Amino acid sequence: MADENQYRGDDQIEEEEIDESGYKTVKDAVLFAIEVSDSMLTPRPSSDSKKSVEESPTTAALKCAYHLMQQRIISNPRDMIGVLLYGTQASKFYDEDENSRGDLSYPHCYLFTDLDVPSAQEVKTLRALAQNDGESEDVLKASEERVSMANVLFCANQIFTSKAPNFLSRRLFIVTDNDDPHGDNKSFRSAATVRAKDLYDLGVTIELFPISRPDHDFNTSKFYDDIIYKASPSDPDAPVYLQTDPKPSPATRDGISLLTTLLSSINSRSVPRRAHFSNMPLELGPDLKISVSGYLLFKREETARNSFIWLGGENPQIVKGVTTQIADDTARTIEKWEIKKAYKFGGDQVTFTPEEMKELRNFGDPVIRIIGFKPLSALPFWANVKHPFFIYPSEEDFVGSTRVFSALHQTLLRDKKAALVWFIARKNAGPVLGAMFAGEEKVDETDVQKFPPGMWIIPLPFADDVRQNPETALHVAPEPLIDQMRFIVQQLQLPKASYEPLKYPNPALQWHYRILQALALDEDLPEKPEDKTVPRYRQIDKRTGDYVLSWAEELEKQYANISALGPKSILVKRSAKDRPSEAEDAAQKPTKKVKVETNEQGVEDIVRAHYQKGALSKLTVPVLKDFLTSHGRSAVGKKADLVEHVEEYMERK
Amino acid sequence: MADKEATVYIVDVGMSMGERHHDRAVTDLEWAMQYVWDRITGTVATGRKTAMMGVIGLRTDTTSNELEDDVHFSHISVLSNIKQFLMPDIRKLEEELKPSRTNKGDAISAIILAIQMIITHCKKLKYRRKIVLITNGQGRMSDENLDEIVKRIKEDSIELVVMGTDFDDPEYGYREEDKDPRKAENETLLRTLVEDCDGVYGTFEQAVAELDVPRVKTIKSMASFKGYLQLGNPEEYDSAVRIPVERYYRTYVARPPTASSFVLRSEPGAGKEAESSDTAAAIKESQSADADALTSVRTMRMYQVEDKSAPGGKIDVERDDLAKGYEYGRTAVHISETDENITILETFAGLELMGFIQSDHYDRYMHMSNTSIIIAQRANDKAALALSSFIHALFELECYAVARLVMKENKPPAIVLLAPSIEPDYECLFEVQLPFAEDVRTYRFPPLEKVITVSGKVVTQHRNLPSDDLLDVMDKYVNSMELVDTDEDGNPVETFPIEDSYSPVLHRIDSAVRARAINPNQPIPPPSERLTKFSHPSEDLVQNSKEHLEKLIELADVKKVPPKAKGRKRTREPEKPLSGLDVDALLHQEKRAKISPNNSIPEFKQTLAQAENIEAIKDATKQMMVIVEDQIRHSLGDANYDRVIEELGTMRDELISFEEPASYNQFLGQVKDKLLQEKLGGDRRELWWLIRRNKLGLVVERESDQSKVTDAEAKEFMSAN
Repeated sequence: MADENQYRGDDQIEEEEIDESGYKTVKDAVLFAIEVSDSMLTPRPSSDSKKSVEESPTTAALKCAYHLMQQRIISNPRDMIGVLLYGTQASKFYDEDENSRGDLSYPHCYLFTDLDVPSAQEVKTLRALAQNDGESEDVLKASEERVSMANVLFCANQIFTSKAPNFLSRRLFIVTDNDDPHGDNKSFRSAATVRAKDLYDLGVTIELFPISRPDHDFNTSKFYDDIIYKASPSDPDAPVYLQTDPKPSPATRDGISLLTTLLSSINSRSVPRRAHFSNMPLELGPDLKISVSGYLLFKREETARNSFIWLGGENPQIVKGVTTQIADDTARTIEKWEIKKAYKFGGDQVTFTPEEMKELRNFGDPVIRIIGFKPLSALPFWANVKHPFFIYPSEEDFVGSTRVFSALHQTLLRDKKAALVWFIARKNAGPVLGAMFAGEEKVDETDVQKFPPGMWIIPLPFADDVRQNPETALHVAPEPLIDQMRFIVQQLQLPKASYEPLKYPNPALQWHYRILQALALDEDLPEKPEDKTVPRYRQIDKRTGDYVLSWAEELEKQYANISALGPKSILVKRSAKDRPSEAEDAAQKPTKKVKVETNEQGVEDIVRAHYQKGALSKLTVPVLKDFLTSHGRSAVGKKADLVEHVEEYMERK
Repeated sequence: MADKEATVYIVDVGMSMGERHHDRAVTDLEWAMQYVWDRITGTVATGRKTAMMGVIGLRTDTTSNELEDDVHFSHISVLSNIKQFLMPDIRKLEEELKPSRTNKGDAISAIILAIQMIITHCKKLKYRRKIVLITNGQGRMSDENLDEIVKRIKEDSIELVVMGTDFDDPEYGYREEDKDPRKAENETLLRTLVEDCDGVYGTFEQAVAELDVPRVKTIKSMASFKGYLQLGNPEEYDSAVRIPVERYYRTYVARPPTASSFVLRSEPGAGKEAESSDTAAAIKESQSADADALTSVRTMRMYQVEDKSAPGGKIDVERDDLAKGYEYGRTAVHISETDENITILETFAGLELMGFIQSDHYDRYMHMSNTSIIIAQRANDKAALALSSFIHALFELECYAVARLVMKENKPPAIVLLAPSIEPDYECLFEVQLPFAEDVRTYRFPPLEKVITVSGKVVTQHRNLPSDDLLDVMDKYVNSMELVDTDEDGNPVETFPIEDSYSPVLHRIDSAVRARAINPNQPIPPPSERLTKFSHPSEDLVQNSKEHLEKLIELADVKKVPPKAKGRKRTREPEKPLSGLDVDALLHQEKRAKISPNNSIPEFKQTLAQAENIEAIKDATKQMMVIVEDQIRHSLGDANYDRVIEELGTMRDELISFEEPASYNQFLGQVKDKLLQEKLGGDRRELWWLIRRNKLGLVVERESDQSKVTDAEAKEFMSAN
């Protein structure tokens, strides 16, 4: 484990999203405000008569909130989420409810899940509500009296102010089918617009998820255009596009499709758009700069590392580690400024002052500088070291950036060219060379954007990062053998002959959190993981079985030809004494058996025979190891461990 | 493992080496030493115990060698026997290698001595043996017994390298005019000797010029995976294909060396006493007092859990009392040791094909990782044949394969893309990791070739879109900036200049460490030109494209936004909602007389936006001060700190843009005094620390024209505790 993760720490520092605003915490808080009204609670039947599931807009919204909550536990474990129901008969705001003395501050507002990093219990209660289990009846009852939108908005304001102070991103997701909550009532309307302005000034973005009623299309101009602001206050750069696309979901009677549309709409905004760097100069030539912002559209999501847990309290508690640095000689605590940096050299230390250390990494201010252009085909497949960066123009530092960027984008896209760029992502970040090329906008079947238009920067390896190919003997396959293989390849094209990442959730990550969830909620453990990355064996057999057989036959024939000429491999293979040599193995192999294993058939049979006799321990370690590796099993440990592993394998069969 | 090495450097320090030639600013010795130090420190930097060196001084004032009684071997001194070089050895050598007061001493004799040293040291063991002679070729050299020397060198397979100052080297293209006849004679002698033993003969012109070519460390690759490329499931179907393969890194980022942390020893005397009896150590100490006064830094971890009842809200817990687990949201999930692997997905090692895609349907930006190559199991001809048919089939069909890679049992699966690579003498698959669903972030951006207005109208002529003229000149500019690289033979190179680009940080640190090792008191050298070769477009290209660039600049008409104009509020239109409704007018009607503490940030902003005079701004600031102080005073522990930070940050930003930085500065001064005098509910030093960390200090001149506070004053203000 340690070896693989040794640079993880470095990477994390490097990948940390940059907090541009200085004093704000780079975190996101999402508060769902879901309307509860008679029309929102009316189930919409499924158009598919076989599925008798009914979904009301409210439950669909709750399911979305539940889904997002689960997803964020995995992808953004530090971010907050909350659920506020409004228009409910019941009211609840922290320790206030109908039974409290005095007036309610926010009547008909029901804070179902407080804004926070969700706890397992909250996940469970929200799920119960979304699935209409038991007690939910009480909460999901519409009030007779109209709720004041001003009050709802101020309630949200107070939740954000007290629970998510100083967050870089705070968003209020309003899900409703009522496009005109206050009709002609002027004072209610203006109170709501004032409270909306408060939210705007507080830095809260309102995102609307409008639902059309079966008999009425949602019309944002009636009320919501007065509530929602063009640009997000925390991201003045955000192009208009982002905030204004909530197309009302179609006036469908179908509950399921309502859920899917809503889900995809919310999914697309699940992560606040955070720039990796913003307003970076892109230098097209001496004296021509424009500004761009950079984003990471691909980033490997990993399971969180395990942490220490304190079991001494009532509930298990996460332990916070506090590190202090101490001097090795006297064990006194050291202040940061005292620390000197030194490199080991010739058994001694070569020291540098902190200023010098900084200077050594200083190759100038952050910049993307174009050094020249090359055909895109000059970028080899292997020239890659990490995920790409996506850049998009910003007008913040240079007015006119967008049109120049657009001109460059169109030119590079048309001519299939890439720019070589000198790229310094942050102050004091080491420079890299990158290939920058244009990416086209890609949309899915429903015209929703999948990949945005913009420019991609691929960091290139330096000469130091390129490894030499190991020596090996070259055997070029003769045409007939290639022909056979071609048939196989042609049979197994993926849909649309392209790779669609969204179809493949990370099975290890999903399993990890699936188990954690079960443990946290005290549920039964799931038995079998869903793993979309496992090939479809039956289909492969059905489609390619016959082709594989003829390929295997051809391989035997061709191999016989070359072995007749004597072995070409110059490398001497260390083989166990009792292991049949390559040539023998090939000869022994029964031609009927078509597993095209090229060397270990003998081992397979020997081990199987010994297992049946219960004499595995008579085999040598290399044989056991060969057997295990050939089945993808770990082959480390002492002989006894290996025998045990083999037995485990055989028993499972 | 790298081979053991034994190298003997013979450095000519004769009187004539102290002279300057051909208008060089440095003496011959200094010039030559650039090369020698580069070699020596390069070896020391590897830290390898088996990379050993010896040094012989030639034409030294005194004589010190095992054959010193023989007159042929006079004025030759063994300065260091063959051993691993450490810092003290470098310092000692630095002292000793100075021009002498004699020109006597025979280079050929020094070579004989060096051979002798190597034979004694290496015996018949496996070593890479090497002798490097550095000279200006001006002393007397005897040509006796040359054959015998050649024979020994060849027998022991020693590599002989002779490097001379101003030696003629037709291959490199250097010839010294008016050469001293004796030097010419010596050059011929040395050249013949080197050629006879298949050694290397060179001139310093070349050696020094090539010094700044960074040395790329070659790393012997180990297979990162050995297993099977599989199609189908061999456990269940007879029609499964299994080809034994090995995986090696193709790219792997070389990291710069990491520095360790040290601090000055607190009691410098304490450590020394124990060592003082040892005289050798004492010498070492006097030379490297600086380094010896340091002690390393250790990190200590303490563990805390929240406990509302405890003072400070936290209690310390012992490491031994802790269990392992994970966070699920804010719930801690305990996993007992026996269930340790419960969250790990069960997998088996293998590279399993999932399907194939058309290479032109693939977007290059989906590459997520460094790359590897997949080759057939080595020494398995049948596997090579089988894999080759797969590689060629992919190539002919213009396909890539998508596969599931599990490197070891129970390691998480990765989805990888496999591409064929066919070269005349090498075939393999390239492999790179692809993103999973969770790795994709769907951020949406508007199109670049058209503008869609808020009302949904598509516009093709807009200030954010290029005109046809701009497009046209961009096209010309891009063409004029085409990079045409050539290789050593002048043939155009079609790929990006990867082999010619060196990791700037890595090599800069590497050379700085070595430079400092030799000259501890010199400032760090600037990065060598090689490292910044690609930091700017070449002169040729700039010249070539100048005309188009000028036109492009003209048509682009890009205007820089002055830094202080950004975010200036007074001139800006008030923000309006999508409908364009004038909310400010509504706010006016409402007349919020006082800023309410529970809605302070919006109301502060709004009050400023409506302020008609400075008094109103000052008044709003005063109101905020009361609110903020109240929040601090009533904060349970750090409960309100984040809110206070947000309020301070907002005030700071707003007052800068309303050109009233003095109000903020005055306000912060008062907060500071009260905080540090514990007038706001006790010890609030943590809050002061937060203010410092979040850079909410005084507004300085740099940030606002209206501020008179200098950087130094602001620093002084913040540092006071």
